[in-house]
Amino acid sequence: MQHNSNDEHHSNSAATNGEQNGSSLRLTDEEFDRYSRQMIVPGMGKDAQLRLINSKVLIIGAGGLGCPAAQYIAGAGIGTIGIIDGDVVEPSNLHRQVGHATSRIGMKKVDSLITHLRDLNPLPTYVPYTYPISHENAADIITLYDLVLDCTDNPATRYLISDVCVLLCKPLISAASVQKSGQLIVLNCPPTPQGKMDRKYPPCYRCCFRKPPPANTQLSCGEAGIMGPVVGLMGVAQAGEAIKILASALHLLQSGSDTTTEDDPHNLIQPTLLIYSYDLNAAPGPYTFRALKMASRKKNCFACGENSPQTLTLEGIKSGNPNYIQFCGLQTPKATLPAQDRITASAYHAAREGGQLQNHILLDTREKEHFSFGSIDGAVNVPFGKLLMKAATIKRDGGDAQEILPLKSAEDPIFVE
Amino acid sequence: MERGSFLLPLPQPSSPLDFGNFTILYFATATSFTGKNVESLPAPLSLRKLGDVLEERYKGIREGVLGHSLVTINLAYVDVPEEGEDDVIIQEGDEVAIIPPVSSG
Repeated sequence: MQHNSNDEHHSNSAATNGEQNGSSLRLTDEEFDRYSRQMIVPGMGKDAQLRLINSKVLIIGAGGLGCPAAQYIAGAGIGTIGIIDGDVVEPSNLHRQVGHATSRIGMKKVDSLITHLRDLNPLPTYVPYTYPISHENAADIITLYDLVLDCTDNPATRYLISDVCVLLCKPLISAASVQKSGQLIVLNCPPTPQGKMDRKYPPCYRCCFRKPPPANTQLSCGEAGIMGPVVGLMGVAQAGEAIKILASALHLLQSGSDTTTEDDPHNLIQPTLLIYSYDLNAAPGPYTFRALKMASRKKNCFACGENSPQTLTLEGIKSGNPNYIQFCGLQTPKATLPAQDRITASAYHAAREGGQLQNHILLDTREKEHFSFGSIDGAVNVPFGKLLMKAATIKRDGGDAQEILPLKSAEDPIFVE
Repeated sequence: MERGSFLLPLPQPSSPLDFGNFTILYFATATSFTGKNVESLPAPLSLRKLGDVLEERYKGIREGVLGHSLVTINLAYVDVPEEGEDDVIIQEGDEVAIIPPVSSG
């Protein structure tokens, strides 16, 4: 039987968790039957299927990205699938997290998703990690896998995962989604040793996004909302990229070495950020996918650039350096009203009921969707972003503040909800 | 954002409507900050000055959005030049995009 020597090298170095007893060199009848429709696709074939079966993929996050990604990863027959997440299934997850079910509300997400995946395909080895990934455990887990899917939901974890993947030479498929936007990028593929700069190499997450957004602008799906198909598309695309990389053994290719494969990997050396925006207010179509050419590894990158071996190490990460929470949690100073100008909701209610507030305006600065769920009687809804923008326009072009607020008299007090 | 305001157009370099302008696209938090998906701004414009032009229109956008966003011109990433580095000139008909990172999932 013909067998790619890369496979042997790969499985020897990667089969470390004892779940897998060596690499398969041939397909069973059951596997032939199950995977036949993808194996006959041009470019796949038996060798590619064997590579999938002998591969180990880690899915970090069992939510809106992780669920759809895991379905196709499992369906395609990736041999070992690790899933890490500390959360439990909640009803508000189910509109998008398609690997869970109403009957499994309250169950650990990892256990719920694996239940679903085993039903889909019992052949892979599923490895549950029912706790969150952390700077202490990240390297020990990621080192057991060939490729990582970042399906997490916060910037601190994204930087942590990318840093560890650089240090351990693992390709990383990173996707994210909130409200009506999705992003996808393959990072560090083909994997390249930290600090190598002699020619163009693929970027890491920090090469693309050097600084996290200010903490007060970071929105979770719980706060900002998320459309199911938007995050679902991104998760499915992650699985697609993973299968492509593993089937063509790009994860085994060390950048800068003389190793070559039949398939020219140059298309991955042109890193590409896929963005999807879904406009609820637009007519059906046009489909707004954009594929953006990204830059290669940055010379001054903290994690993978020229001097990065001095700034980032596995030992450092384990002992809390860099501090990811601090890096992503730096608050920009907020202007807050002095205590004497603030009022609690119950004190406001009491004052209004007691007739102490005659002429005033109650301004509700939430978005109109939130406002539509319910509001205090008589409140005026001007979303905060809109308020700021109109104020800036008036400041620039002149105009009357009454265009923003329905003030009867400039002396009326304004209460902001 | 205005309901039913507009569709996100495909890039149309040198369209007659864009005479003297470039198109700027806003994604994710840049959309919520500006209340827009897209608009036209006068070209040519130095990339280094783009931040000033946007800050004047949308107060606070530099700190709230631009500081951590990546910028593309005609679908390709560009480094925003710092003092002393070569500047890039945004030309008439170019499509610029402001792309903040998205983190949730």
